[in-house]
Amino acid sequence: MRHFALPLLAASSLVLVGLAQAARRPQYGGTLHTAIQTAPVSLDPAVLVQLDSVTSRNLSSLLFDTLVTMDDLGRIRPALALTWQGEPGSQRWQFRLRRGVAFDDGSLLTPSAVAASLRAANPTWTIYALDDSITIELNSANPSLAAELTLPKNSIVKRLPGKISGTGPFRVSDWQPGKKLVVAANEDYWRGRPFVNSAEIALGTSARDQLMLLELGKADLIEIAPEQARRTAMEGRRVSESAPLGLVALVFTHQQPSSEDQKLLDALALSIDRASIKTVLLQGEGDPAGGILPNWMTGYEFLFPTEFNMQAAQQRRAEVPYAPAWTLSYDPSDSLGRLIAERVALNVKDAGMTLRPISTGSGDLRLVRTALASPNPEVALAAVTASLGLPQPALTANNPEELYQSENALLQSHRIIPLFHLPVNYGLSTAVRNWGERRTGAWDLSDIWLATEKP
Amino acid sequence: MSFRRKLLLVFALTVFLSVAAVGWIVSALSRRAFERASRERTMALIKQFQREFNRRGEDVVHRVDAIAASEPAAHMAVAVTRGAPDYGAYLSEAKSIADSQRLDFLEFIDGQGTIIASAHWPAKFGYKESLLNLSQPISKEAYLKREDVADGAVLGLFATRAIAIGDKSLYVIGGHRLDKDFLASLELPSGMRALLYQNFGTAFSPQLLIDPSGAVQQPDRLAPLIQKAQQQTEEPTEIIHWSSDPADDESMHAIPLRGRDGQLLGVLLVGNSQRSYVELGHRITLVALLVGGTGILLAVLLSGWTAGRVMRPVEQLALAARQVADGNWNTQVDIRSTDELGELAESFNRMTRELLEQRERLVQTERVAAWRELARRLAHELKNPLFPLQLTVENLLRARQQSPQAFEEMFQESTATLLAEIANLKTIIGRFSEFSKMPQPQLQEVNPNEIMQGVSRLFEAQLRSQRDGITCNLDLDDRVPMIAADPDLLHRAISNLVLNAMDAMPQAGTLTLRTRQDGERVRLEVSDTGSGLTPEESERLFTPYYTSKEHGTGLGLAIVQSVVSDHGGKISLESAPGRGSTFRIELPLNMDRLSAEQNHASAAKPGSFI
Repeated sequence: MRHFALPLLAASSLVLVGLAQAARRPQYGGTLHTAIQTAPVSLDPAVLVQLDSVTSRNLSSLLFDTLVTMDDLGRIRPALALTWQGEPGSQRWQFRLRRGVAFDDGSLLTPSAVAASLRAANPTWTIYALDDSITIELNSANPSLAAELTLPKNSIVKRLPGKISGTGPFRVSDWQPGKKLVVAANEDYWRGRPFVNSAEIALGTSARDQLMLLELGKADLIEIAPEQARRTAMEGRRVSESAPLGLVALVFTHQQPSSEDQKLLDALALSIDRASIKTVLLQGEGDPAGGILPNWMTGYEFLFPTEFNMQAAQQRRAEVPYAPAWTLSYDPSDSLGRLIAERVALNVKDAGMTLRPISTGSGDLRLVRTALASPNPEVALAAVTASLGLPQPALTANNPEELYQSENALLQSHRIIPLFHLPVNYGLSTAVRNWGERRTGAWDLSDIWLATEKP
Repeated sequence: MSFRRKLLLVFALTVFLSVAAVGWIVSALSRRAFERASRERTMALIKQFQREFNRRGEDVVHRVDAIAASEPAAHMAVAVTRGAPDYGAYLSEAKSIADSQRLDFLEFIDGQGTIIASAHWPAKFGYKESLLNLSQPISKEAYLKREDVADGAVLGLFATRAIAIGDKSLYVIGGHRLDKDFLASLELPSGMRALLYQNFGTAFSPQLLIDPSGAVQQPDRLAPLIQKAQQQTEEPTEIIHWSSDPADDESMHAIPLRGRDGQLLGVLLVGNSQRSYVELGHRITLVALLVGGTGILLAVLLSGWTAGRVMRPVEQLALAARQVADGNWNTQVDIRSTDELGELAESFNRMTRELLEQRERLVQTERVAAWRELARRLAHELKNPLFPLQLTVENLLRARQQSPQAFEEMFQESTATLLAEIANLKTIIGRFSEFSKMPQPQLQEVNPNEIMQGVSRLFEAQLRSQRDGITCNLDLDDRVPMIAADPDLLHRAISNLVLNAMDAMPQAGTLTLRTRQDGERVRLEVSDTGSGLTPEESERLFTPYYTSKEHGTGLGLAIVQSVVSDHGGKISLESAPGRGSTFRIELPLNMDRLSAEQNHASAAKPGSFI
């Protein structure tokens, strides 16, 4: 008996190790089921860019590539461009393209195709197509051009009448606008074929229904609202969380706030109890925001105040003889936005002002929820100010001090009152493997694989 | 106004007043009945509202009891007693509990009045529930309360329960909204409706008025009634005029709704449409008008028939009387009834017969008197010339017998006398003949002033030849119109009057010829300043052959009267002893008579139709 025990034990261990290794080894195959709340009717990145930046990036990344990408540390990585170089003054850039990359219709990626795609997205650029590179000439210096080229709107798209083609890891196999998107793995993808055979994305699915799908095992990847993240995790589900990339803010819609408006906005900002909102409405998720860009992106965001001081708010309010009743508009489909708006209105009322939440029409203030477009702070600030209708910052160099000044100027203009920075959360089924938590909150479905047995 | 019309008016007025009185009485009775029915319906609706209100209240109480007894509430109560409850954990729980119990409002409140969770205003966590008075005992019944929500305030029916855990409590306040769905749940009879005014301020605000079907039209019209309900303790009622059409009026009854502390939280308005009453009134009026119209028509027919039966004999009598007045005394009425009208007709006929007989007798008498007078005058007139004739003839006989020579002388003288007296007799007979053969006037357009002037010229020389002379004055009005008259006859009549006037002024005097217009007549006057006539003489003056003169046939004035009568005029005398006399002739214009005679004459002429 002693003779057989040890070998038996060794054999058993080997089998177990083998099985464990097999479980960790990537597997090809399977269909990834996922769902999103938005319901796009076009897959063209020029149209997708109108959606929130995370969804835009997620869907674009399935079918299209950019010249360069950005990693979690904010470093520019090659993609369709192998190398790039900016001339002094950052007004002229040259990108050398990767060879051998094909669109999903089989045609090769050429400099002229790249130039055409970028011209469509950036009409003010002058782009030349050369042998294996393109040259981009700008009207003004833009040291962050490479970071800007990582945005989904600058995806390389081949547009033909009635058809668009990309070089991404997946190809469209079934497209029902607003309802369903099914993509199949691109066997000739230049980075290597994705592990999953296909991905099926249910569009326009509410958060509640997505949770139901995950519960029932009909979805592998879902979106989770920040206020649901904690409870979902407590219920034993896998929840992925990005860095705080979403911004919740109040935007004052009047173009030129008067001095009295500014005082009232100061009072308003001081009266908002962010801590209570975070604890109750956000279920502890997110961070109170004093700045537009989160601290992990800039490192100086903590300098902007987020204090709740009702006494100071009331004093500031008393400096204005007459405070008009303002309205606060919010997205009627955003239940969290409605709660935040109502809570802000209650806080503001304690300060002696009247703020009435409305779900239709344009109010004096607007509660916005937007995701920052890029981990690059300059790009993110420019994108968010453009999307919110705020004055564009004049940034000429990768300079944290200049960036701070620009952001501070925006905040001092009293056009925007940041409230929270929220993460992007996903719920994952147990079958999903190799899901990396990205700061940007974006998918990378080309790298994940589905396990066929339970861990 | 004729008797027939008076009769018609009386009948019509009688019918109209009767119908109007009946219509008014019916309207008044209908209005009272309608008002009574309206009151009863309003009271019934109020009772129904009370029942529904109580039922809803009981329902709320049961549901809040169920929540208070539920496990989630118990867990929450335990968490509260441990202090610092996790508001986030209960954020959506209140909403799901409220939904499961079908409550519009639900709040969980700790012992200090802090809201743990609110279903209808989730963002209000951590705030104090200001309207909850924890010092007062919790009412077991449901109560009316104003509840603040995110977009304003609403009225609701609430119940409160306490969950005691140790020495701490968790309060559960749940309720139903009093909104248009609640009003719509009331089963209202046709023509009635209910509105609810949420009394959240002192000034009237249309936005606080709730109607089951949507926005209230013209809410400002209800403001006075609501203000009355706010100020008074009674339940006021008013008629609301929604438009100029009375059928759109509505009787509104306001019922104050009070909260636990007696404060006025709402006003229930019960409306009762007046349309059916107004339409009933219209129908009554229409029927009254139809009946009245029919009655008046019947009155017309009846009065016509009655008047016919009653008035015809009277009219016949009136017509006969007019005919008699016009001179047709031979008028008889044919009325054969045995009543008073028949007697009257018989009396009338008898009267006219007697009048005829009397007239005939009078005519006979006058004829006899006239014959007698004529005979007397003839005897008188003829006697004068006949006596000289007789004397002359006797003298001739005597002279022939006595002296043939004297006979020759006397024969010439006597024959002259005989011829003169025969001529005188011829003149007298000629005058009588002339009078008997007075022609009918040949009418033509005549200027009365010209007649007077003509007569004045005719007698001018003669007037001057009178001893001391008679002055002739012409007082002629230039405005006197033309008349239709026979100029010759008229001239003769005026001449006769002038002759009489001259005879009345043997010494001297003033003769005045005057013309005037008197309406549709023309007046011609001949005045003298003679000795005048006594009343008796004046009365007999126009009798033929009467004369006050020693000589004369007395026919002159008779001729004047005949001429005047033939012209349709009349003659009168104004005289007094010592004051002269004025003969006044009034003649009609007679132009229509002239036209008729001219048309008759032209029609009678051969070829007059060309």
